[in-house]
Amino acid sequence: MMFYRHLKNELWKLFGKKRTYIGFGAFLVAQNAMLLIFHFSRWQRNLEGMLAGNGYVAAEFVSALTVAVVLLLPQVVLLMPLYAALVGGDLVAKEAEDGTLRMILSRPVSRFNLMLAKWIAGVIFSIALVLTLGITAVGFARLWFPWRSMAVVWPPLEIFSLVDPQTGFGLYACSHAFMALNACTVVSLAFMFSCFNMKPAAATILALSFVIFNLVMEMIPFMERFHEYLLPYHFRIWLYMYASPVPWERIVQSVSILAAFSVTTFLVGAAAFQARDIKS
Amino acid sequence: MISLKNVRKMFGQRLAVDDLSLEVPRGEIYGLLGHNGAGKSTAIGMMLGQVWASGGDVRVCGYEVTGNRRRALQNVGAIFESPAFYDYLSGWRNLEILSSYTAATPRRRIQEVIEWVGLKGREDSKVRTYSHGMRARLALAQALLPNPQLLILDEPSDGLDPQGIHEMRQTILRLKKELGLTILLSSHYLSEVEQLCDRIAVLNQGKKVFEGTLAETKQREQWVRLNVGDFEAAVRDLRQAKLIQDQRDGSLVALAEGIGTDKIVRRLVEQGMPVYEIAKAEETLEQFYLRLMTGAK
Repeated sequence: MMFYRHLKNELWKLFGKKRTYIGFGAFLVAQNAMLLIFHFSRWQRNLEGMLAGNGYVAAEFVSALTVAVVLLLPQVVLLMPLYAALVGGDLVAKEAEDGTLRMILSRPVSRFNLMLAKWIAGVIFSIALVLTLGITAVGFARLWFPWRSMAVVWPPLEIFSLVDPQTGFGLYACSHAFMALNACTVVSLAFMFSCFNMKPAAATILALSFVIFNLVMEMIPFMERFHEYLLPYHFRIWLYMYASPVPWERIVQSVSILAAFSVTTFLVGAAAFQARDIKS
Repeated sequence: MISLKNVRKMFGQRLAVDDLSLEVPRGEIYGLLGHNGAGKSTAIGMMLGQVWASGGDVRVCGYEVTGNRRRALQNVGAIFESPAFYDYLSGWRNLEILSSYTAATPRRRIQEVIEWVGLKGREDSKVRTYSHGMRARLALAQALLPNPQLLILDEPSDGLDPQGIHEMRQTILRLKKELGLTILLSSHYLSEVEQLCDRIAVLNQGKKVFEGTLAETKQREQWVRLNVGDFEAAVRDLRQAKLIQDQRDGSLVALAEGIGTDKIVRRLVEQGMPVYEIAKAEETLEQFYLRLMTGAK
């Protein structure tokens, strides 16, 4: 009961401030901008050409679901880690900076429970962010494109998937569960830095730096053998939902690694916070 | 209510609190004095389990804080200098959130406390619209919500205007009188401490340099103000007669043990020195504090 109250408090605090909604707002703007670019540039024609080149009637597959996935690709790589890190970095460090943490810690509250409530609030934020991202992407795409079969084409992962609308929508929904796990991982990483004695911006920058460092390392040819040790390799599981057949073994491995990474970063953060002196 | 025994705190190589022992008895207003960096806030942080002691024993309400923080702080409320709130939430929501870390608080209790501190009618406004005085009252409300027996006030008057400071002092006295609370007050304002506290401790560079009642600060040495024609000659004569121990400031003399002012007057009159005034000189807390600090240097 006490923990439920802590969690409720954290959700009030998190969703009560405007800063939390920057990510949601940015997604809306980015999605609409990308839709316009997709529709009025060569982007749509290129996709249609690729489908036609493989012997398919492009008009059948350039649908709301297809375009939604096209919209998600850059947002999941660029915007989502940014906003997840922004909120994760704020979770503890912003309260310490503002002085409200000192007010809370004059109460008989367990530091671990407080951290757990904050982290779970971060996880809930990640899920909400990804859900909003998914719903708005398909919603906006539907305004411009019909509800037809879905095509997901991603040559680097050898994904070429053509499915009917019902199956496509199911895959689209499932892929969001994995995207939420990605967001949770970034939130947990930023949360860990946030638990140390540092400014919220520093926690956010450190978390983003870690993710970008992983991305850069992945691009180095020498690192090809070590991709499995880098986060982006595991972040791609949401795309594998569209592969045929779905590589479940690979997905389970990555899910386990991302979940373990999130829990570990939470525990490291909570331990650092437990040992920390909180002063004005 | 609070007991510190040989408490130490190191921040890296820097010793912030050194062998600090003090006892705050139930029902008293206890003042913690010291300049910036003297260790007051660190000592309070250790009492609240926000700062971990490097050594010694810290007990609040009978419970050891490091090992049993939840029980130790169950009946404690605290206010800090420039109290921080969630400015984007209402005063009511802030009270709900902060009090829930102690226990679930019924709406009626929140209403009662809001009325007690004089915030009725503004509880639904966002805290960002509150004045300094209203924030101070909100801070008091959150400290009072869990029905505390002990209040820890760390520089509660900081940032308030003179009227706000006056209101805060009156409120602290009301808290003791009406609710019977034990209060630990850390303050820079010597006059505030002089008006409110029963007992004080003075910290300097992390060490306690004095602990006692306010009366003790005034009577530590028996200084007498002596107004005579020739002070230097009078002092020479009184020293010769072994009636005084010391003199200072060109008008104060410290009487020898067992000597009263009557003997001084008789001696001086017998020596043909006119005495215009003789009176016990009480040291103000400010003089006492400055003397302690100068002595410590």
